Amino acid sequence: MTEPTGDAPPIAEELGPTPGRAPRRPVVEVVGVTKTYPDLIQGDVTAVDGVSFSVAAGEAFGLLGPNGAGKTTVLRILTTLLKPTAGVALVNGFDCSRQPELVRNQIGFISVGTAVYDRMTAWEFVEYFGRLHGLRGDTLHERMEWLFEKLRMQDLRDTLGAKMSTGMKQKTSIARALVHDPPVIIFDEATNGLDAFAARASLNVVSELRDAGKCIVFSTHIMSEVERLCDRIAVMARGRIVDVGAPDELCARHDETDIEELFFRLATEEPVAQAAAAQPEGAARP
Amino acid sequence: MNLGNVNLIWRREMRDQLRDRRTLFVIVVLPLLMYPLLGGVFFQLSQFRQQQRGLVVVAGGEQLEATTELPPLLEGDGFALGLLSGPPGSGKLTVQRAPGAAEEVVAEQREALAAGQTDVVVGFPAGFAEKLAEVRRLIAEAEVGAVAPEPPKPIVLFNSGRERSQLAYARVQDALRAWQRQVVRSNLAAGNVPVSATKPFDVEQLDVAAPKSRDALFWSKLLPLITFVWALTGAFYPAIDLCAGEKERGTLETLLASPARRGEIVIGKLLTVMSFSIFTACLNMVGAAVMMQLLVGSLGKATGGAAAISLPAFGSLACLLLALVPVAALFGALSLALASYARSSKEGQYYFMPLLLAAMPLTVLPTLPGIELTLGNSLVPVMGLVLLLRTLIGGDATAALPYVAPVIAVTLVCCWLAVRWAVSQFNQESVLFREGDRFDLRRWLASLREHRDATPSPAAAMVCVALIFLAQYATRFVLPYFAPADPGQGFLVATILVSQLACILAPALFVAFVLTTDWRRSVLLSRPPGWRDVGIAVALAAAVHPIGQRLAHWIRESYPLSEEVTAQLEGMASLAGESPPLWAVLLLFAALPAVCEELAFRGVVLTGLRKTLGPGGGVLVTAVLFGATHTVLQQSLAAAPIGVVIGLIAIRTNSLWPCIAFHATYNALHLGLAYAQEPLAELAGSSEWARWVFTEIGPEQLGYAAPIGILGGVAAAGLIWQLGRRSCGSPHAESSLSLAI
Repeated sequence: MTEPTGDAPPIAEELGPTPGRAPRRPVVEVVGVTKTYPDLIQGDVTAVDGVSFSVAAGEAFGLLGPNGAGKTTVLRILTTLLKPTAGVALVNGFDCSRQPELVRNQIGFISVGTAVYDRMTAWEFVEYFGRLHGLRGDTLHERMEWLFEKLRMQDLRDTLGAKMSTGMKQKTSIARALVHDPPVIIFDEATNGLDAFAARASLNVVSELRDAGKCIVFSTHIMSEVERLCDRIAVMARGRIVDVGAPDELCARHDETDIEELFFRLATEEPVAQAAAAQPEGAARP
Repeated sequence: MNLGNVNLIWRREMRDQLRDRRTLFVIVVLPLLMYPLLGGVFFQLSQFRQQQRGLVVVAGGEQLEATTELPPLLEGDGFALGLLSGPPGSGKLTVQRAPGAAEEVVAEQREALAAGQTDVVVGFPAGFAEKLAEVRRLIAEAEVGAVAPEPPKPIVLFNSGRERSQLAYARVQDALRAWQRQVVRSNLAAGNVPVSATKPFDVEQLDVAAPKSRDALFWSKLLPLITFVWALTGAFYPAIDLCAGEKERGTLETLLASPARRGEIVIGKLLTVMSFSIFTACLNMVGAAVMMQLLVGSLGKATGGAAAISLPAFGSLACLLLALVPVAALFGALSLALASYARSSKEGQYYFMPLLLAAMPLTVLPTLPGIELTLGNSLVPVMGLVLLLRTLIGGDATAALPYVAPVIAVTLVCCWLAVRWAVSQFNQESVLFREGDRFDLRRWLASLREHRDATPSPAAAMVCVALIFLAQYATRFVLPYFAPADPGQGFLVATILVSQLACILAPALFVAFVLTTDWRRSVLLSRPPGWRDVGIAVALAAAVHPIGQRLAHWIRESYPLSEEVTAQLEGMASLAGESPPLWAVLLLFAALPAVCEELAFRGVVLTGLRKTLGPGGGVLVTAVLFGATHTVLQQSLAAAPIGVVIGLIAIRTNSLWPCIAFHATYNALHLGLAYAQEPLAELAGSSEWARWVFTEIGPEQLGYAAPIGILGGVAAAGLIWQLGRRSCGSPHAESSLSLAI
């Protein structure tokens, strides 16, 4: 079990590219997770329905689905912000429901919902979260210097959150999520609202992190991001995983050449027909 | 809890708030600007007030001026000099003379008075002056046996629906009274009677209060009010920014995804809110004190009265600061819990009004004259603290001393509950990730029924308590209407049946049957009675009774019943007649309350509350609520500790039967002791061993001797330890541990 350490191995230095990217030890395991919440008008709404997948270290796993498919709910369960109604979610062996503090120490979470403080500079912001993660003194500052250098954020050091552009905020959020060098990084539609340059820079960081051996869980509704980054994808629709696999594997299985076409087909088809095929190989079964 | 994280969050939030211009304006600049502005506005307005002149229409006044014997009443367009107080020429009334008969003028002027064109109408009926002259003549001639004429009656009309008319009326009355005195004096002078005949003695008034204690009284009313109202305002604005504002800006999710626990986040934010609350309150206190000092000083100079009031004593300020900490914690936690529910700052502002409306009476009422610190007042949250501070700042420390403990206890319990509420709000997904939804009452009720648990939820428990209080409140008003002209035993029985069955049992059964799916488990009756536990509970009641009785006695000694309550209780007791049958007394006062109150409190309420407060908190809060349903305050205080013991029984045995057995036995012992008081007292007087058991603890009151009380206490501890040990296989280690904590 990897405890986050203060002496900060860099995001993409030592491990280098993973040859063949064969799935190794699963770091994130989601087994039969269901999330139901009461709704006054519709009665009980099942946002996520029996979702299972697992992600290994050095792997980038994409959750692909239209808005309202349940991607954000799955990722919020992984980050312990929501508790699953049924099923188990494990991060590096820690249970998201029972050991939420330990799980949060293992992850870096970046989403549209996780903004930066308006009245704090980038440096103060990253330092604050580093301290909340238990980093102190030189260890913290060395790690921060390195991150600010790596993410080209030196000129942002003393800029207040309120004065930052969307791209700057995104960089600051990434620095915040990486300050404690977590083994798992969760991106929830994190390129939403970014211009092409900022989105590209973010995706570069993601691919570097993956190559450095981090476990990446990535949600998006943009096909090109998936094609570029993900080792495996799960297509989600109406709270369920319709199918899971490597992009070319999925294309072959469904006789599609274009991943975008495949996505539209899977997302609009009735999920029942696909349910049998939904279990990924090597994924933990309930 | 990681205190490092709490400190980190607190420091960050403080820095964040201090960098916010809006917060700084409300917290720092507003009070500094507000008080000079308020002072200025007050001066301006008071000028307007002085310039308002009342219009007085006088009819029949010419007859007074026609005679020289009477002292003058009117002069020019005003009353004669010396009739009205105030510096000469300040003429606050304008007099308009109306020609014609007084009766006609009065009839004519009615409408003008109603419309506000005239403020007061004074009519001297025809022959008024002659009648006065007649009286004067009689006195001057000192005719023996002369019949004095009926005193003439001038008419004064005013309109109490208009403030200006009321003010003018008061001034006219002053003038007429002064004139009346002048007339009396001149009459007496005409009859050669010395003036001192009307004033055989003169009262010399002497206020022994030192100026310092007079000022202390002034500050004692002003300072707690200003401090507490601003403590609330100072807490709420940062709370909105720290919860709803962060939700709106999306930074709350960032923080929630960090390793900090929810409790650490809430305490860190609470400390920030408290800091601002205390700071605002202090700043306002200083601002108000300076303004009052200047205002009173300049008013004093203007009226030639006393100079500026002295500053409040250092000890008073220290007390105020000390009290401010729990008040800030209470208001801060309430604000945080409310603000966490809001989705945006704007929504958060809406929640401020209800909180302010609830807090205002609690802070304003105690500053009204006539409200003194009593045991009942001291148990009301915030109000008790304000009253205690008022008494302390007023310099009456000895009167305040007996109430320090209850006030501190109530304040701390409220703080603890408020903080728990705030933390539980932060643990609820539905609160943190609340989305806007349309509200539909029917669907809401349907979903409540659909989502009910097997046993009552904390909310259902509170619904039960609210229903009990409402029913008790309603019966207190309705019952007297049904009282027969000559109430007797029948009415007493009916009253007790209604107060138990309708007010306590019915709400409990309603919640158990309607708001849960398993009523037996809801009221801890799913298992048949465990006779061993029931036996232990009966023994426990006997063991606890000596201490309970001493406690009840001590409470009545320390906080005596008011005359009103004593009269009421005696009235009720007299309904029972000379010697009611013992079985009936035991049935009505021991068995019936045991069943009804246990079903409600240890059944529904404790089962619901322990889900959120834990076993220890659940037992305590249930006991307080159980005490509160006893209508007489002294009974409530004695009942609450017994409620704790019964709560322990419920937690350890998880069954209601032992609770009912304890409650019935305890009440029966109480009644039995009162019933058999005389023979027992005789026995204690004659037999040596009985003296070791019973002793007189008050006039005509028999109690247990001290060794029995101590023995009972030790036995009670052992019996509680024994409870539930065998019936559940092993003692409830977990619950007893958390209780101990």
